[in-house]
Amino acid sequence: MTARDVAIRLALYALLAAVTFLVCFPLIWAFFTSMKPKDEIFLWPPTLWPNTWTLENYRALLVGRDAYFQAGANNNAAPPPSAFFLDWFWNSVIVTIGTTVITTIVSTLAAYSLTRFSFPGQRAVPYLALVGYMVPSIIFVFPMFLVMVDLRLTDTLLSLVFGYVCITLPFSMWLMWAFFRGVPIEIEEAALVDGASRLRVFWEIVLPTAWPGIVAAAIFTVIVSWNDYLFGRVFMNSMENLPLTVGVMHFFDGTHVDWGLMMASSVLMTMPMAILFMALQRHLVAGFGAGAVKG
Amino acid sequence: MDVRIEGLSKSFGTNQVLKSLDMTFPERQFVTLLGPSGCGKTTLLRMIAGLERASAGAIYFGGHRVDHLSPGDRNIAMVFQSYALYPTMDVAANIGYGLKVRGMPRGERAEKVGIVAKVLEIGALLARKPRALSGGQRQRVALGRAMVRKPDIFLMDEPLSNLDAKLRTTMRGELKRFHLDLETTSIYVTHDQLEAMTMSDLVAVMNQGVVQQFGTPEEVYDRPANLFVAGFIGSPPMNFADVEVGSEAGAPVLRIAGRAIPAPPQFDFAAAPRHLTLGIRPQDVRMAALDEPRAVPGTVWITELIGSERLIEVEIAPKMRVTAEVKSDIRASLNEAVAVTFDASRVHLFDPTTGLALARR
Repeated sequence: MTARDVAIRLALYALLAAVTFLVCFPLIWAFFTSMKPKDEIFLWPPTLWPNTWTLENYRALLVGRDAYFQAGANNNAAPPPSAFFLDWFWNSVIVTIGTTVITTIVSTLAAYSLTRFSFPGQRAVPYLALVGYMVPSIIFVFPMFLVMVDLRLTDTLLSLVFGYVCITLPFSMWLMWAFFRGVPIEIEEAALVDGASRLRVFWEIVLPTAWPGIVAAAIFTVIVSWNDYLFGRVFMNSMENLPLTVGVMHFFDGTHVDWGLMMASSVLMTMPMAILFMALQRHLVAGFGAGAVKG
Repeated sequence: MDVRIEGLSKSFGTNQVLKSLDMTFPERQFVTLLGPSGCGKTTLLRMIAGLERASAGAIYFGGHRVDHLSPGDRNIAMVFQSYALYPTMDVAANIGYGLKVRGMPRGERAEKVGIVAKVLEIGALLARKPRALSGGQRQRVALGRAMVRKPDIFLMDEPLSNLDAKLRTTMRGELKRFHLDLETTSIYVTHDQLEAMTMSDLVAVMNQGVVQQFGTPEEVYDRPANLFVAGFIGSPPMNFADVEVGSEAGAPVLRIAGRAIPAPPQFDFAAAPRHLTLGIRPQDVRMAALDEPRAVPGTVWITELIGSERLIEVEIAPKMRVTAEVKSDIRASLNEAVAVTFDASRVHLFDPTTGLALARR
C-alpha cells in the first residue's frame, strides 16, 4: 500500500466517521437527555454527559400508570399523559403486528399469483400498485376516515390496521412481485415432477427461496406502521387508544415541552426497531439486493 | 415402458407449435428430439412430462393414457437445462426430495441418496448448497435427483448446453451410460446434432411443429427424408445444387453448371421431375484433376483448415459453390482453377417443389 493509498483510506474513514456521527448524534443526545433530571436538561451551556444520572423519566413512563392509580380513589385530577405510555406502546405493537401479518400474507400470495398464473390485468397490476404507492397517503386519509366512520370503526385499533394495510400492501406486493420474478419457475416444475402438490411446492420450495424478499417486505411494513403519525392522528381520539407516535405528542402541552419524557419515549420507541434490524440485517441485505443478482 | 403420442397438438394463442404428432418412443430406447429453436421439441417434452397441457391428442405410457395425470403421478424424472436445483436445500435434500414427497422414511432415504451419490461421485458434496457447486457438479446433482427415484421415463431438456465444451464431451458419455444402467426410456431434447448423433438410438428431427424424420442416426444422416433434414444434419452442412435430368447416349445424366455427370444408379428417374435439387455432403466431394472426365470445373473461393481436414469451397458457376472436405495435406490457393467430382453413390436428390427425397430403387 503506497502512502497515497493510505491517505485515501484515511480520508475515507474520516468521511465515514463524520457521516456516522451525524446519523448517531441525535440518538446519543436523546439517550443522554432521557437520563438527565429536569433541571439539568435546560442547563446552559448544555452537558452531553449527564452530571446526575436518573431513571425518573423512564419510571414515569413505565410505572406512571400504577403510581397514578395507587395514589388513591380521591385523586380527581386527570391522569398525566405519561400514565398512558404503556397503552400507547401496546397499541403500536398490536397494530404493527396485525398490519404486518395481513400485508405480508396477502402480498406474498398476490405477488406469487401475479408471476405464476396468467389472467387479465396480470401485467398492469404491479405497475398500478407502484403508482398507488406514489400517491401521498394524506390524499387517502380523509376519504378513508369517512369510510371508517361509516363502518363505525373510528377510534379502534382495527381502523389503523386497515389504514396501514391499504398503504403498505401495494408496495409490499410490488416488492414481492419483483422478487418472485427472479425465482426460476423450473425449480417449481422440478418439484412437481418430483411428485409434490402445488401447495407443497409453494410451502417447501417457493417460500424458503423467497424468504429474504418476504423479510424485506415485512420490515418495510413494520417501519411504516410503527412510524406513522397521520392515520393515528386522524382516526383515533381517546387517550388510551392512541398509537405511540401520536401519544407522545401529549408531552407538549401548549406551555412547555417535557423533553425528558419525550426523549425517554423516543429511546423506548427506537429500541424494538433497533433490535429487529439487528436480528434481521442479514436477510434484509439479501432481500433488497435480490432483484439485482440472480442467485 | 414405451411412450406413444397420438394426434398431439399444442397452440399458444394463434401460434400452433405442435401439429398433430403421432410417434412411438420404444421401451428402453434413447430417443432424441432434435431441431432448431422454436421447432416445438421442448414443448413436446414438457407435454410428456405433464408440465404443459395438450390442445388436442393423447399421450400413453405403456398403453395407459396419462394426459390427465399431474407430473408427479407419471413416475417420470426430468433434468432441466438450468438444472433447477432447490436453492435452499443441500445436495442430499435435493436428491432425496422426490423420495421425501413419496413418504419414504428418513433412514431409507439417506441410504438411497448415498448410493446414487456414490455412483455419481458426489458423495463429498452432500452437505453443500447448490450455489457452492460448479456447473458440472450441479449437473450431477440434477442427474442424481432423477436417478434416485427409478423413473419409468427419463426426460432431459438440453442438459448439457450450460457446460463448457470439454465437460460436455465427458458428460455425453456419462449420460449414455446412465441411460443404459437405468434401463428406462429416455427422451432427450437438444439442438446439437452431435449430441443427437452420438447418444441416440433414434432421432426425431423436428421443424415448425412437425417431425420431419424419425429414425436411427444412420438413417437420418445417410437417407435424409427431405431437404430440411439433409441441411440440418451434418457438419459442415450438405451442399445443394440445382440439376436437370437429361440423357446422353441413352444413359441418364444430371446436368449441373453446364456439365453432365452420370446419374446415380440408386434413383429411379422414370417418375422424377426434370428439375431436381442435388445434395452432396462435403465429405463426399473429391478434388479432381482438371482434365478428369465427368469432373466439374471451378475456381477456389475460400479454404479453411479445420485440424486434420481442410474445407475447400469451389465456385462451379456464378453464385453456386460446393464445399469439399479433404485431407489437410491437399492444398489449394485462392482463385486457382480446380475441379471436383461427386461420389455418385452418396448423392442425394430431392424434389425442389415438395422438398422430399427422391424415391430410391
